[in-house]
Amino acid sequence: MKYKTFRQGLALPFALFLLLFVVIPILFIVYYAFTDADGFFTLDAFKSFFTSTVKLNVLLISLLIGVFNTVLCLLIGFPLAYLLANPKINRNYMLVMLFIMPMWINFVLRTGALRDLLSVVLGWMGTTTGEHPLLCTMIGMVLNYLPFTILPLYSTMLKLDKSQIEAAQDLGCNPFHTFTRAIIPQAMPGIVSAAMMVFMPTISSYVISDTLSEGKIMLFGNSIYLSFSNSDWNGGSFMSLLMLIIIFIVMLATRKFQGNGGERKLSAW
Amino acid sequence: MEKLQGKMESPFIIEMKNVTKIFDGTTVIDKMDLNIRKGEFVTILGPSGCGKSTTLRMIAGFETPTSGDILLNGRNITTIPPYRRPVNTVFQHYALFPNLDVYDNVAFGLRNKKIPMPLTDKEGKPVMKIDRAKVKDVKSQIRRIKHDKLISKEERETRLEALEKRLHEILSTPVQAYKYRHLTEQEIDEKVVHALSVVDLDELEDRDITTLSGGQQQRVAIARAITCEPLILLLDEPLGALDLKMRKDMQLELKEMHKRLGITFIYVTHDQEEALTMSDTIIVMNDGVIQQIGTPEAIYNEPQNAFVADFIGSSNIYNATVIAPRKVRFLNHVYDCLDDFPVNERVDVIVRPEDVRLSDSPKDSYVEGRIASKVFKGIHYQYVIMIGHDEVLVQSIKDFDQTKPIYLDIRPDGIHLMKRANDLNIYTDSYIGKDHKVYIDDAPFDCDLSCLFPNASVDEDGIVTYDKKKYDFANADVTATIDPRALAISDDTSEANVTGEVINAVYKGDHYVILVRTENEEDFFVATPYTFNPGDIVGLTAKKEDIKLKLRGDLEDYEI
Amino acid sequence: MVKKILSYSYIYIILLLLYLPVFYLIVYSFTAAELAGQWEGFSMELYRRLFLDEEIMTALGNTLILAAISALVSTLIGSLGAIGIYYAKKGVRTLVENVNQIPVVNAEIVIAMSLTVMFVFFGQHFFGGESTFSFWTLLAGHCVLATPFVYLNVKPKLLQMDPSLYEAAMDLGCSPSKAINKVVIPQIIPGILSGLLLSFTLSLDDFIVTAFTRGPGLLSGQAQIETLSTLVQSKIKKGAVPPEMRALTTIIFLIVLVIVAVYSIRINRKNKALSGKHARRRSAK
Repeated sequence: MKYKTFRQGLALPFALFLLLFVVIPILFIVYYAFTDADGFFTLDAFKSFFTSTVKLNVLLISLLIGVFNTVLCLLIGFPLAYLLANPKINRNYMLVMLFIMPMWINFVLRTGALRDLLSVVLGWMGTTTGEHPLLCTMIGMVLNYLPFTILPLYSTMLKLDKSQIEAAQDLGCNPFHTFTRAIIPQAMPGIVSAAMMVFMPTISSYVISDTLSEGKIMLFGNSIYLSFSNSDWNGGSFMSLLMLIIIFIVMLATRKFQGNGGERKLSAW
Repeated sequence: MEKLQGKMESPFIIEMKNVTKIFDGTTVIDKMDLNIRKGEFVTILGPSGCGKSTTLRMIAGFETPTSGDILLNGRNITTIPPYRRPVNTVFQHYALFPNLDVYDNVAFGLRNKKIPMPLTDKEGKPVMKIDRAKVKDVKSQIRRIKHDKLISKEERETRLEALEKRLHEILSTPVQAYKYRHLTEQEIDEKVVHALSVVDLDELEDRDITTLSGGQQQRVAIARAITCEPLILLLDEPLGALDLKMRKDMQLELKEMHKRLGITFIYVTHDQEEALTMSDTIIVMNDGVIQQIGTPEAIYNEPQNAFVADFIGSSNIYNATVIAPRKVRFLNHVYDCLDDFPVNERVDVIVRPEDVRLSDSPKDSYVEGRIASKVFKGIHYQYVIMIGHDEVLVQSIKDFDQTKPIYLDIRPDGIHLMKRANDLNIYTDSYIGKDHKVYIDDAPFDCDLSCLFPNASVDEDGIVTYDKKKYDFANADVTATIDPRALAISDDTSEANVTGEVINAVYKGDHYVILVRTENEEDFFVATPYTFNPGDIVGLTAKKEDIKLKLRGDLEDYEI
Repeated sequence: MVKKILSYSYIYIILLLLYLPVFYLIVYSFTAAELAGQWEGFSMELYRRLFLDEEIMTALGNTLILAAISALVSTLIGSLGAIGIYYAKKGVRTLVENVNQIPVVNAEIVIAMSLTVMFVFFGQHFFGGESTFSFWTLLAGHCVLATPFVYLNVKPKLLQMDPSLYEAAMDLGCSPSKAINKVVIPQIIPGILSGLLLSFTLSLDDFIVTAFTRGPGLLSGQAQIETLSTLVQSKIKKGAVPPEMRALTTIIFLIVLVIVAVYSIRINRKNKALSGKHARRRSAK
């Protein structure tokens, strides 16, 4: 039927767009990851990555910093979201928005500002940012990614079934058990979403670690960026592919907790 | 001469010819022929999923038949898109445009409408041009016929030839050309005001759609559909969302509106009472097939099969046998009847609850029973009376004592006989597998191969001994027969021989006859005392000894 | 009571920490000192210098133009895509939605790298070794970031819509395209607008994809396109945040603050209306 073809045809530009700029580029990554500069098949990128202790270290450190940052953001963000969603404490949506607002101020600028501020503060203590690269990077990571954790946590907190919490208390749970047995399980989808919002971007981030550690801490994102700067398309593609695989695995592993992947970032609007 | 006939006014506004609609491999409408008379109030009635909405949508143009033609006033409109058909629809959930107010909703169709104006040249002579729209239409019909896999090659060729001829004719004969103009705001205003007054909504022109009540939205939807003065008004369960009182009022109002507008109404509903109240003609559909077409009286009084009888009104349906001319036996009693069926024919008999006479004292020809339940319904009492194991539903204005025996009688004109639609499950394309099970609908059933022949015996390996010869029936084609009463039906599909979906269920006094359809479109009739609902997925099991087999082909082929 | 005080202090301390770097720049935007941290008396000098600074103004212009164009393109493609997919068969829908999810969950740097190698390949094999990087590659990069989110914003609005509306419009004489314009688009316009806004902000804030896929063009002329993010990054790599940028930070902060305030007030009103309704319903019971 003609008119049905027409309305489905509206999606044609969209489908072509996804094909050309999402699917095909990924195929190119795979192609470049397993070819050399002349376009011949090779496992060089694979070998050089897994034989280089430097690069493996980068991967390890990225994962560690990613986990560490995720845990920190959740530890700070969880009580925050709980308080913000509690009508006895807060009924004003503005306060929630203030926690998200930094996302809309240019993040490179914010990172620069933090670096400048940290150097002043550390200057008072008689030291410099360059001497504490890990500390500075972690502060930067937490400040940058905390807003991303607030939203998914806040929206699950709003949906918490109060009667379950009351039931737990009624059945003799102390506050700690109420928390672990009634609140955490309910908030699990939000926690997983929030963790995903932090973990993956942390590993692949470039600006924050580059600026705040003065280039001393290399994350996975930094090494991909480095191969881009050196026009090392094969090495860069291999690392991107590896990153893609890690993302894919993490997504699969957390799938059952996830709602729609897009909703998390979207709920800001 | 031929041409003249084609242009003769047909008494039918809609003719559907051999229409089939298949959605993703499921046949929703099966070879349907249907004629709808001009100016009638026609109701298509059937349970959900019977294809009634699809029929309506094909007339509206939202669906194209997989095969077959739809004619409007004798003109083939099968490939005409909905926005070029002089037909308007009142949708089930109204589908009012929430961004427009009442006035703009009603004016919506008028603003798209274009009025043809004959084109003339400077001297006032009509300009003649080839009718491009018709050319396009015929070409799309040609494309459709070419891709129609359901018609025979010969038919396709003759039809293509006729269409090519017609195309040539159109291309070679210029006709009066038209230019088109939109309606003026004043014309639109007049029509909108008129339509709103037809539905009694004059006051609400500027109201937002979202602020209207359900009934008011319903009226706006009707006004919107009639402003364009369609030849046919299609109504897709339009009263479904209203409460009972409102629905009753709207039924009468719609009927009134139909009289005033004088156009054809095609109304789709699953509510038999609605259909009986409003229609000139009722089309009862089930399972993609028309069951009966007739006036409300004919449908009610003379249902053509058990489905119609069961679906329209409440009725008692029993298995019966004709024992002598115009004498039929059911409920352990012989009744006189008016329908003439051959003697010994097994039939379905239908008795409406109001046609049963009750008495509290024994009389001639009255059968004794026991009142199982009694409900006061306002005008009458509704009794369920047990005669043996059979239930009889009876309406009576008399108040009988529930504890005392009751006597009932049915007069000849209250008994309606119908040919029995289904008696046995017969599968002519079954076969014996290598495992010596019978495969019906490609599902294995345990069977007793010795039933193929009298005095035959079967050993553990499935080898049959008959008349001192041995036979191996692996891969033999057989006809399998299962009595509906021998099939066990259950919600549990894990242990079943076959699983399928319940298509319909008809109550016959003391049991239901349930039609179960498998994925491969094989039908099984099951007799069971338990209730199942259409759409339920059920499993069927048959015992070895209840499957009767008959060999097709030569016995010698299987001798070993 | 103690609990409440503790709660509030927790909330506000975190909030303060979050904004401390930004406030730091804002405070020192009102003095003319070269380095933040030194107060040389109140002055609006930096604001004057900001608007005269050609480099920053070019980058700002580029950023806004790019954000506007990429937002429009993404919104167009994504919205039409959502409408088309809404009416498509289930298999097609699942496939497209899964592909659409890839850029949503993917790391930005992987998106950037994948596009870059594709453009490099095209340059090497189809354009005789010349670089294909230009405004267009940059635009493509930003659209990849934004389009999936436009789709995800429009889709729920379509799901809320009465599916018969489109058919009703055609029943009343609209051609298919007219039916989309007059009936479907008005129903999903809130989703389209929020998609537009989201694409705009995604583009404004982007660094990685810009750094990878940009080429010469826009206001930068023959030079590499410089956006705010790339400009700031190149500056802070060499030293402190340039003084004029402190003034820029203040301006950005104020604009965002106003938008957030207006939005919050609207949400607060809506919530209040909602809880009012609940209260009424409860009392009715």
